[in-house]
Amino acid sequence: MLTIALNPIAYTRQRFRAWWQARLPLSDTTTLTQRNVYILPTRPGFMMLATLLVLVVASINYQLNLGYLLTFLLAGCSVVAMHVCHATLRGLTMNLMTPDPQFAGASAQLRVVLTNNRNAIRNGIGLAVLDSTVDDKWVWTDVPALGSSTVNVAFQPQRRGLHHVPPLTAETRFPLGTFRVWTVWRPAAQVLVYPQPEAFPPPLPPGEPRAGGIARARLQSTGEFDGVRQYRRGDPLKVVVWKKAAKTGELVSRDAEQAQRYELWLDFAQAGKHDTELRLSRLAAWVLQADRLGMEYGLRLPGVQIAPASGESHKRRCLEALATC
Amino acid sequence: MLTRLDSLPRDTRDTLFLLAVIGWIMLPQLAHVPWWCGVLAVAVLFWRGWLAFSSRPLPRTMWLFGVLAIAVVATLATYRTVLGRDAGVTLIVVLLALKTLELRARRDTFVVFFLGFFTMLTNFFFSQSLATAGAMLVALLGLLTALVNAHMPVGKPPLIQAARTAGWMTLLGAPVMAVLFVLFPRFGPLWGTPSDAMTGRSGLSANMQIGNLATLALDDSIAMRVKFDGPTPSQSELYFRGPVLSTFDGREWRPLQPRFFGTRVQLAGNVQLQVSGEPVRYEVTMEPSNRPWLMVLDVAASPPQVPGFETAMTSELMWLVNRPVTDLLRYRAESYTHFRSGPRNIAALPPEYLQLPPDRDPRTIELANQMRADPQLARGGAPALIQAALQRLRTGGYHYTLDPGVYGENTADEFWFDRKEGFCEHIASAFVVLMRAMEIPARVVTGYQGGERNSVDGYWIVRQSDAHAWAEVWLAGQGWVRVDPTAAVAPGRIGSLQRLQPPRNVFATAFGNVTPGLAQSLRSAWEAVNNAWNQRILNYTQSRQLNLLKDIGFSAPSWEDLTFVLIGIIVFVALAGAAWTVWDRREHDPWLRLLNRVRRKLLAQGVDITPAAPPRRIATLVTARFGELGAPLAHWLLKMEQQRYASAAEESLRALQTQLRHIHWPA
Repeated sequence: MLTIALNPIAYTRQRFRAWWQARLPLSDTTTLTQRNVYILPTRPGFMMLATLLVLVVASINYQLNLGYLLTFLLAGCSVVAMHVCHATLRGLTMNLMTPDPQFAGASAQLRVVLTNNRNAIRNGIGLAVLDSTVDDKWVWTDVPALGSSTVNVAFQPQRRGLHHVPPLTAETRFPLGTFRVWTVWRPAAQVLVYPQPEAFPPPLPPGEPRAGGIARARLQSTGEFDGVRQYRRGDPLKVVVWKKAAKTGELVSRDAEQAQRYELWLDFAQAGKHDTELRLSRLAAWVLQADRLGMEYGLRLPGVQIAPASGESHKRRCLEALATC
Repeated sequence: MLTRLDSLPRDTRDTLFLLAVIGWIMLPQLAHVPWWCGVLAVAVLFWRGWLAFSSRPLPRTMWLFGVLAIAVVATLATYRTVLGRDAGVTLIVVLLALKTLELRARRDTFVVFFLGFFTMLTNFFFSQSLATAGAMLVALLGLLTALVNAHMPVGKPPLIQAARTAGWMTLLGAPVMAVLFVLFPRFGPLWGTPSDAMTGRSGLSANMQIGNLATLALDDSIAMRVKFDGPTPSQSELYFRGPVLSTFDGREWRPLQPRFFGTRVQLAGNVQLQVSGEPVRYEVTMEPSNRPWLMVLDVAASPPQVPGFETAMTSELMWLVNRPVTDLLRYRAESYTHFRSGPRNIAALPPEYLQLPPDRDPRTIELANQMRADPQLARGGAPALIQAALQRLRTGGYHYTLDPGVYGENTADEFWFDRKEGFCEHIASAFVVLMRAMEIPARVVTGYQGGERNSVDGYWIVRQSDAHAWAEVWLAGQGWVRVDPTAAVAPGRIGSLQRLQPPRNVFATAFGNVTPGLAQSLRSAWEAVNNAWNQRILNYTQSRQLNLLKDIGFSAPSWEDLTFVLIGIIVFVALAGAAWTVWDRREHDPWLRLLNRVRRKLLAQGVDITPAAPPRRIATLVTARFGELGAPLAHWLLKMEQQRYASAAEESLRALQTQLRHIHWPA
């Protein structure tokens, strides 16, 4: 109600936009036609109109037939430019590549493939996320004749969870800048957004004694290595014994004794006394840290428990659990 | 040049290209703007180019405002105003040059483009020739190329690509231009055009200062084109009458009425014109002269038909119009080469025709007295005296020359006794002075004499270099009689093509000597093209628009009808465009159209078919639903599949279409 009172026009506009966008079909591939390409004159377009009026008045007043020719040729060019501008987008096919999961708050990218199946180049097409807060949001590209080009559109996911990709917009002002031709596209794809990792998280929590094992308080010797073993997929690079690998050509990893006796559990309950989102973001930071160190770690969330393990797929599982819980 | 430019960094390249285009637009203006403006514009453009080339920062806005303020003051000093055409053109040139120093935001670039378009138009104030049109077409393409290039944000596309787009756009825009040009209703000026609208055009002036016709003789530009209905009269009869000059102060001849330029037109009071013989009918296309008179063949008894002007004749047989001719003007006239005019009685003649400047030309007056004292001549009266004067011109060693040097105080004395050479104005002036000294009323008539026929299109062409001055003397009982003293000095000037040629440069001389015929025919062809341009484009007026409407069936066309036709064409084109979009939305693949027809029919019968179902899938569904009854349809569907996907189709699509019509549809 306050918004309506403060700025009724902006409010109405916003409501209209929401209503309009809700009408657009969800699709990962869209071919632009007469029906979903919009066109309006720009400010330079109105300047051009004013120029034409001044020119025609000058031609009338000074009775310059050559002035009429110039004015009307320019007017003809503007009319042609309008059609060229519209045709730049009309018939273009846009295809969104399945987006990778992203961290909230980080700048992420959406890959869009633009396909041109006409026999002429399409110049100066800009893509952006609609209502983006990024300053210079436009990514510009040319699409070659009978070819395609890929653009990476920047966007910043704000909330964690599984979301629809934000509506995208494509725009062109080619060739004269007198008209703005644009389209709005709602992709059907969903993007998984992980919680934003805490910027400066506290150190990892101490390990818990492995159930059934002998508890030994040798926490200080964390990382001291007790032997070597065969390289296993997912071992971080820093535990690989490179000297040995260079000699034998075989990958060997260090094996820490401590890891065999203690288990690292990243527990929702131990992630500080903040609200849920902050705790989740601390857990996310810990997951990344533990993964970087090549440790095995488990994750305990309310209602979800993921057994300790390591490696890329384990990290993904944990982050997914953090994103969707 | 484009490739050389293309090797520079993009920003530098784009700026330099834009500067080159702006320079090209301004180039024709440099001859018309004051010197300081030309120097400023050229300096600013070069400085801007250097800044772009060496990637230096642009000057601060404060400086620009400073320079602009100085330019406004200088304009005020030059023209005493900042309004009006010439001051406006000067300011626009300065603004366009200065704005190039302020290309910061996108908006600035657009301002430069739009100022550029306007500057192009201002070039037409000074010339609307074919050459100007060509130069400005190049300029338009250049500006459009720069504008298109500015809207290619990716990488560094070659300029030729933008140029090609601009070229196509211009080509496709040309029909729009043609339709608008033909049908856009022509009005008179919306408000009064400033009086300086057409200055800077050369031609005959209202006064004749001794020495200024000779400058016209160097001007090869065309004054008027004449198309005679019948055969062209002989060269020696082709006197086109201009201003008649009757008062002389020793240096300058002026017309009799001091208020020559007034809007008040002096009607012919005591013309007493008598004409004889067959009239010559012709059509004149007169170049803009910025003077309120018409050039007609001596002498037009009835008013020339000038669309949009009122005409009136002065007592000196000159045809005036109600406003200066600021544009190409076409009119029809009817002239008689044999005529008599003026009162028969000397008492009815204004005394000004006998007045001489006091204390001038004593030797000429002395000569006049001697001639009148000669008893033989005195017996013959005025005609004998005139003949004696002409005889003196013929045999006295007088020469016709373009470059007689600068005459001093006593112009007639110098001509008759010292220099003995002169251009037609010197001869006519000295002759009239001598006549008046002998108490014979006389006056100077200026205009054009002669001309030449263009062999390509048959128009008779009169150039500024055909400008001429001759004399008229009044004889009792006869009225005013034309006497051309130049004919006595140089018979070749009148009645043939011989005109005095200014000294030409080495190249032109060599060219003319090697192929005199070629040069002449090239010139004829070029002027025929120019004439076509003048007749078709520059002289396209409201009356011709309305004639066009008459031709396509309007009985009494008005400018409203023009608007209706224009709107009709726009509506028709818009509807055609809308129809095209409807057609464009339809499925264009005939195979898919055929399959869709079947699909829709089955859907109506309740068979559940997805939009992407191939023929085989539909066939399965048909069999499942109708069993044996659907077998022919299922078979047909399989043939459809075969038609589309088999390496060699057994049946044509047309055959399948016919088969579908004969299939017994399952119910």
